[in-house]
Amino acid sequence: MAILDSTSESDARRIARPSGVILLLCLALAAALLKPVLPAFLIRVPEWAVLPYDQWMQWLFDFIKDDLGLIHVTRTISAGLEWLLDITANLLYGKNRWPHIGPLPWSAVAAVAAVTGYALGGTRMALLAGGTFVWVALIGQWDLAMQTMSVITVAAPVAVLVGLILGLAAWKFPRFERALMPILAIFQTLPFFTYLLPAVIFFKVGPTAGCVATIVYAIPPMVLMTALGLKQVSDEVVEAGQMSGSTRWQMLRHVYLPSARTELLIGVNQVIMLSLAMVVLTAFIGMPGLGAKLLSLMNSLKLGRSFEIGVTIVLVAVTLDRCSKAWVVKQPQHFERGTPWWQRHRLLLIGIGAFVACLIAAQFIQLADHIKRGQDLSMGSEIDDVIRAILSNGVITSTTEWLRWFLITWVLIPFRNALLWLPSTSVILTVAAAGCFVGGWRSGMIAGAFFGIVALTGWWDRSIITVYAVISAVVLAALIGLPLGILAARRKRWADPILLACDTAQTFPSFIYLIPAIMLFGVNDVSVVFAIFIFATVPLMRYTIEGIRSVPDELLEAADMSGATRHQKLLAVQLPLALPTMAVGFNQAIMFAFFMVIIAAFIGTQDLGQELQKTLAGNQLGKNFVLGMCVALMALAFDHVIMRWSANRRKALGV
Amino acid sequence: MADAPVISCRNVWKLFGTDPEGYLPAAKAAQSFEEIRQAGYIAAVRDVSIDVGRGEMLVIMGLSGSGKSTLVRCMSRLIDITGGEVIVDGQKIMKLDERELIELRRRKMGMVFQSFGLLPHRTVLDNVAFPLEMRGQDRHERRERALEVIKLVGLEGREEYFPRELSGGQQQRVGIARSLAIEPDIWFLDEPFSALDPLIRREMQDEFLRLRGMLGKTIVFITHDFDEALRLADRIAIMKDGAVEQCDTPDKIVLSPATDYVAKFTEDVEKSRVVHAKVLAQPLNGHTPDGPAVAADATVLQLARQLVNDDRELLPVADNAGKIVGAMKRQDALDILLGPA
Amino acid sequence: MKNIRTYLGGAVSLLVLAGNAAQADSTDPIIIPIHNWSSQIVMSNVVGQIFENMGDNVEYVTTDSQAVYESVRLGDVTLELEVWEGAFGASFNTALEKGGLHDAGAHSAVTREDWWYPLWTKDACPGLPDWKALNECAAVFATPETGDKGRFLGGPVDWLKHDQERVDALGMNFVVVNAGSAAALWAEIGAAEAEKKPIVLFNWTPNFAEAVWPGEFVEFPEWEAGCNEDPAVGPNPDATYDCGNPANGYLKIAAWDGMKEKWPDAYEVLTRISFTNAQIAEMAKLVDVDELEPEDAAAEWLAANEDVWKPWIE
Repeated sequence: MAILDSTSESDARRIARPSGVILLLCLALAAALLKPVLPAFLIRVPEWAVLPYDQWMQWLFDFIKDDLGLIHVTRTISAGLEWLLDITANLLYGKNRWPHIGPLPWSAVAAVAAVTGYALGGTRMALLAGGTFVWVALIGQWDLAMQTMSVITVAAPVAVLVGLILGLAAWKFPRFERALMPILAIFQTLPFFTYLLPAVIFFKVGPTAGCVATIVYAIPPMVLMTALGLKQVSDEVVEAGQMSGSTRWQMLRHVYLPSARTELLIGVNQVIMLSLAMVVLTAFIGMPGLGAKLLSLMNSLKLGRSFEIGVTIVLVAVTLDRCSKAWVVKQPQHFERGTPWWQRHRLLLIGIGAFVACLIAAQFIQLADHIKRGQDLSMGSEIDDVIRAILSNGVITSTTEWLRWFLITWVLIPFRNALLWLPSTSVILTVAAAGCFVGGWRSGMIAGAFFGIVALTGWWDRSIITVYAVISAVVLAALIGLPLGILAARRKRWADPILLACDTAQTFPSFIYLIPAIMLFGVNDVSVVFAIFIFATVPLMRYTIEGIRSVPDELLEAADMSGATRHQKLLAVQLPLALPTMAVGFNQAIMFAFFMVIIAAFIGTQDLGQELQKTLAGNQLGKNFVLGMCVALMALAFDHVIMRWSANRRKALGV
Repeated sequence: MADAPVISCRNVWKLFGTDPEGYLPAAKAAQSFEEIRQAGYIAAVRDVSIDVGRGEMLVIMGLSGSGKSTLVRCMSRLIDITGGEVIVDGQKIMKLDERELIELRRRKMGMVFQSFGLLPHRTVLDNVAFPLEMRGQDRHERRERALEVIKLVGLEGREEYFPRELSGGQQQRVGIARSLAIEPDIWFLDEPFSALDPLIRREMQDEFLRLRGMLGKTIVFITHDFDEALRLADRIAIMKDGAVEQCDTPDKIVLSPATDYVAKFTEDVEKSRVVHAKVLAQPLNGHTPDGPAVAADATVLQLARQLVNDDRELLPVADNAGKIVGAMKRQDALDILLGPA
Repeated sequence: MKNIRTYLGGAVSLLVLAGNAAQADSTDPIIIPIHNWSSQIVMSNVVGQIFENMGDNVEYVTTDSQAVYESVRLGDVTLELEVWEGAFGASFNTALEKGGLHDAGAHSAVTREDWWYPLWTKDACPGLPDWKALNECAAVFATPETGDKGRFLGGPVDWLKHDQERVDALGMNFVVVNAGSAAALWAEIGAAEAEKKPIVLFNWTPNFAEAVWPGEFVEFPEWEAGCNEDPAVGPNPDATYDCGNPANGYLKIAAWDGMKEKWPDAYEVLTRISFTNAQIAEMAKLVDVDELEPEDAAAEWLAANEDVWKPWIE
């Protein structure tokens, strides 16, 4: 009976849903059509209803900071962090701080990296890890890269530790988890500018603030993966631990944490990648290193050198990513009993040996110690010429000229004006209808409410311009990325190179795309959309490839045996099954687009990003937060609807 | 068995649902498993009373979802029961605090799991030594003991392997060795051989019987395989929907199933393999049949040739010591061997 | 490990220093902020190396050029060497009111920020640099975004240059499009350079761009006091902002109030420092054209200009 009841109930909901959606859509349409006679407060939230949220937030922040004395706490923390940062800074690039023994010679660092790579993933990884550091030294960016690394070596472990503790708490106390998850969701969608300003105010400028912003930015995945990993430990292993008479602490230390190793390490991997992405962006608040250099190079239009720095960042990212992933899959190897100590720890000894050897060599050979200016192999100006030649190539410029004209005149500006023309009510109702269609009334309410709040903040027009850029870019990315992804998934030989290209494109520091975009399309919305487009295409392609590839072989064989042509197989089997995964890619594309649209403020936009950029200079913490929330809420509305849809599809398909 | 039972379950209830304690009185009054489910609760263990004597091997048999795994977890308090009581070695285990419970497990209990429950990051040696490590034995001692049990289960030379480097059968040997490391009095085995291939399973059952003969422990063994139960058990408890349908020796269950449900299981069983001479033996009433006696421990099948060839009405039955304990009607035995005429 | 050697040497010299440290500067590092344009970076290095020469410890931090005044005020950074009147005057004054930092003198260099074009633009619009001539050939500067009007590429909106107001006040046939960053401005010039497309945009001096792309400022009606506040001032009697920007804005030095006590010697030198436009342009050129790293550029500049800075430290 119970089962019967629930099915009839969900049937009822299914019947109710379309009518609700139609109702909402009709209302939205009505609001749009009746705009001339619509009362003004339905078109835009009137000014008297826009409360001074930013001032309240500012007041709240000031209260917490000064009256509650949080600033003293944070300054104490920052003193502790600074101490750690000084140590790594001294070791890696010889900053004049305790313990005054650095900088380590580049050859020693590279040697240790190579041995670590070998230990984790054999010869290939050794070449990658060692090669990256050799490249960094030879190209003459050693100090810059080490400035960046010195922050990551502090930020990543701290983020892992904090994430681990929060994850443990979330796993242990379901109530805490319920409170934490929405906060994490917001954190993951807040634009990075919103991390930067509080960091500066509470933790001073320079590396400390950058380090804090990086830590905060990198924590969420660690929390999620910790909670997930601990939940996934098999019941029997837990029971085996209990039956062995383990105390709670022993359970955690010997049973739960080791059994959740894979998830924890995936968390570590994500922390490292996010740290690296963020550490470059923290150049905006005074983090020295690769990011700062990149910014100053871009400000003097040195494309070649910027490109080289981009390559360095990609190499470092790929090395850290591959090594930490190798660590995830690496299983302990057993030694026969009676293996001597030095054989069990062979690699450790080799690593120490290589390190010491390089230290000694560096005392006598200057090249092994550091590479002087003029000894490096930077090809900055040559690359510069090549890039400029490409960007000013006649065929390319005439194409881009035409594209610029076409997109501006016929696509972007009309679309943007249309969105701006629509009454807020109409947009909110449409969003609610989409939510309702996918996930029922509740989803509809949530999605609508998120946009409703945005309207209430009074930043509606700028928010809509943000959404307009995001949608335009993602649609463009879908038009190009999906066919490419499908094509790649069907030809195995293509898939890997394309995935590699995706990886590279994604790890390239995001703001490196801005300059070529401007040089190709000028300061206008086409550049903005183009810059977002590059970033948003990647997840679309990747998830399309993954989705199609992960269709079970039996289903394909069944289709083959049913006499399906390749085309039929694609349309009838592969695409429908890949759709939920592709939707996840679509969602990621939108999240990336929201990230990038804020950065695109550097091209010149009239959206939230521009306002956010302004607050950074003016120390307006309250406004910064309100704007950040606008971005986060809109992103979360999309996220909620799409992920809900994907989950429903998955359930319906039983995968 | 004059001793008090080692494990004693009295009217044990385990309900899953929103408010099990609150619903318990109603559950007790309910007529059936279905009725309780209607109310939104699952009665995983329903009013079970079983005793397990010292040195006895009780097999709990039932299909999946019958509550057998839950019951065994109630006995070790891996799961807290909703009603009734469980007494282990004279202690009411629901009354133990966390420290006492840990102590009980560290000293007296061992458990083997269906999917082995091995810690993937530890070598065979470290897995086996794990319970010893938990109770704080020093490194040297626990290594000695672990090596000893590893040898016992026949895994010598694999001490430094990791679980994933072993076959399923070998992994379960590790599981068995671990459960034996602390020399427990009570040994729980939760479907230990279900995850193994049939051939390996047979081999492991033999191995298990060997260990059992050597160690003489009190054993609670869970299985969904009736043949396995018949092969290993002193007594079998058959469960359905959380309740025990019948708890008796294999011979009795085969010969006189208490319910239709139990009868269904016994239908296809070749009874001659299960029924022993001693069960068929009737009191002597002063008259001892002539001629050579049959062994009380022999199954009817083992006696088949003799039964067919012998022409006596009544066969004397002798125990291990050669003492005549009763007389068995040849016709009864033949009926079991060939089926009733 | 070159430091092991310097370490010993350093310890010795520290002992020596400790001997006569009675009135001398604190050994804490003087923190000099660095921003993202080259002249400022090199100048900071130049001054930093002067301080180091005097025995002070110096550290550089990269900071936002607007937020830096808040940091100077709190003492997180010690000074700021390039306070541009036009760009940072507002932030500087705000911080000045809040207290904690003060004006430590001005460079002799003057700053100018206004509409500017690279020289090749003159070919398409020969009447330049006069603003009326520019307005005549507005169509040359048209882009798809601006329709048939000319495009003026302004700096980021938050630089508050009131370009739109000026266009309105002078009735110009232009649309203002705001770039989001200085880099965006340079990228546009870089793109225009290839085909020598005419372009008019926001620029300033002293700046590296002058060295890379020779160009001129557009000559608007000359700035008079009150032009931005009083409609009556300037050619259009009904509008404000009907004139160019001041052609000689200040370039000041700001210092943290505590600097004077903590590093008295360094502070004394700081108040004497003054660079000229030519010197600043030279510093920028060393990095932007000659591709030196800022530290090397500073060292080179110091070596070549001893007569300029030696008097300051005596």
